[in-house]
Amino acid sequence: MKKILQLTLGIITSVGGFLEIGSVVTAAQAGANYGYKLLWAILLGTICLIFLVEMSGRLAAVSKHTIVDATRERFGFPFFSIVMLGIVAVAFLVLVAELGGIGLALQILSGIGFRWWAIPVSIIVWLLMWKGTFGVIENGASLLGLVTISFAVAAVKMHPDWGGAAHGLLPTMPGDGKAKYGFTAVSILGASISPYLMYFYSSGAIEDKWDESYIPMNRIIAGFGMTFGGFLSMAVLVAAALSLQPRGIDIEKFEQAALLMTPALTRWGFYLFAFSMLFACLGAALEISLAIAYFFAQGLGWSWSEDLDPSRDSRFAFTYTIIILLGAIPLLLGIDPIKVTMMSMALTSATLPLAIVPFLFLMNDSIYLGKHRNGWLSNSVVAIVILISFVLAIISIPLEIIGG
Amino acid sequence: MRSKRFLVASLVVLFACKPPTPAEQLDSALSWVATARMAGDAWLQHTTPDKYTRQTLELSQQTLLQLGTKLLKSPVPGVDSASLDSLLTRSRGHIAQMAALVTAKNSPGFRQQLDSLISDETLVKQFADSAESKQ
Repeated sequence: MKKILQLTLGIITSVGGFLEIGSVVTAAQAGANYGYKLLWAILLGTICLIFLVEMSGRLAAVSKHTIVDATRERFGFPFFSIVMLGIVAVAFLVLVAELGGIGLALQILSGIGFRWWAIPVSIIVWLLMWKGTFGVIENGASLLGLVTISFAVAAVKMHPDWGGAAHGLLPTMPGDGKAKYGFTAVSILGASISPYLMYFYSSGAIEDKWDESYIPMNRIIAGFGMTFGGFLSMAVLVAAALSLQPRGIDIEKFEQAALLMTPALTRWGFYLFAFSMLFACLGAALEISLAIAYFFAQGLGWSWSEDLDPSRDSRFAFTYTIIILLGAIPLLLGIDPIKVTMMSMALTSATLPLAIVPFLFLMNDSIYLGKHRNGWLSNSVVAIVILISFVLAIISIPLEIIGG
Repeated sequence: MRSKRFLVASLVVLFACKPPTPAEQLDSALSWVATARMAGDAWLQHTTPDKYTRQTLELSQQTLLQLGTKLLKSPVPGVDSASLDSLLTRSRGHIAQMAALVTAKNSPGFRQQLDSLISDETLVKQFADSAESKQ
């Protein structure tokens, strides 16, 4: 009975916690610019994420290691420190984007600019981290994030062309503007396959004391939770394709995205968008802050647990305190969170091999996983998607930068 | 030494942020006029709050001002830049009026300005289409 409850809660929180500023902005931009044409990128990213999340949980359940401490143990500290540098730098940019997303949601609700929200938002995130437990962070924010289901309601209410949407699930290339199209695809993949999610999930499995009996549950949570989450991302793209593309609106600023659901849900659409962004970004900001602190603590051998009193894992608590404080600075300086989002999502794609290749080695190591190590299917799917993201990233990021 | 030069050259190429082309700026201008129109429609239907609507209209107006200045400096090939500038100036005027009328909660006056903006939007779209066809 306890496991059924955990399973249900796991799926619900995976759905509620799936969307964040990166997935919303990239999907909305894709829909506004290219209609349904980039649905394939969300599909590809979601399939890869299902495999990666399942692997992260399996590694923790079987080996009782998080990805971070297994990477350090298996590859040694010098290699681990290179991985840490790349992953933490990109995760920090994503944290800035999420804090900015909360600020932008509050801006459209209150009329007070997002810069003014940087400090209050950071204090709230920090307080929740300081006072909260892992359960509060994992479940609380994600349950609030269920408001993002409104994107699916809006998309369906606008009567999409289902045939056209199905056609968008197959990759195509546009006649012109290939760099921008490629950059948007890369950003979608980066938003879908966020390494911080794997680190958070595997650490969570250790926090929740998973063992091998949790393997089937892990598979169901990863499969159903991520699939439903992927559908929500697709719903954002479809809603943007139906509400913004016919009007010729390209999303450069958050204010433009705020109109996404109004044609379908009128006044409710505006407020549901604002609260969706508020809760989705809050959940993501908590998870990323925690993931970065886990990364340092597990990598450097400190004691760590979100369930411990901060006085008992002071270096862990100090890390997230500093990270959240630093995350507020770019926002105080007025740096546009949407620009940070797009760049951080594309950079996530570019740095994916750094996170995923050592992880694949671990998942094939019988010392850690015994009979539960990866099969050919998991290895192939993840390797192919990572290769596609990486190639697209190294081609399109320079082209997009040169193209302004 | 050679590898150092190559590295510097690569970094220069990578980070030499070239501004968007005039045609892309014109597309952006059209997008902002459309944004102001959609925000205006939403306000008239009581869908969006006053503060958000006013801020979005002001943002559209400011962005159009910046884009107009850039388009004057580097005109879109084959497009009469004087006519385009006057059209964008007029659109900005309507948007500024709309922002003021939100504060005054004057719906009839707002609708009048919105109708004029819709006419301007059609003209900006014609300019954008003509620029695209000449590319």
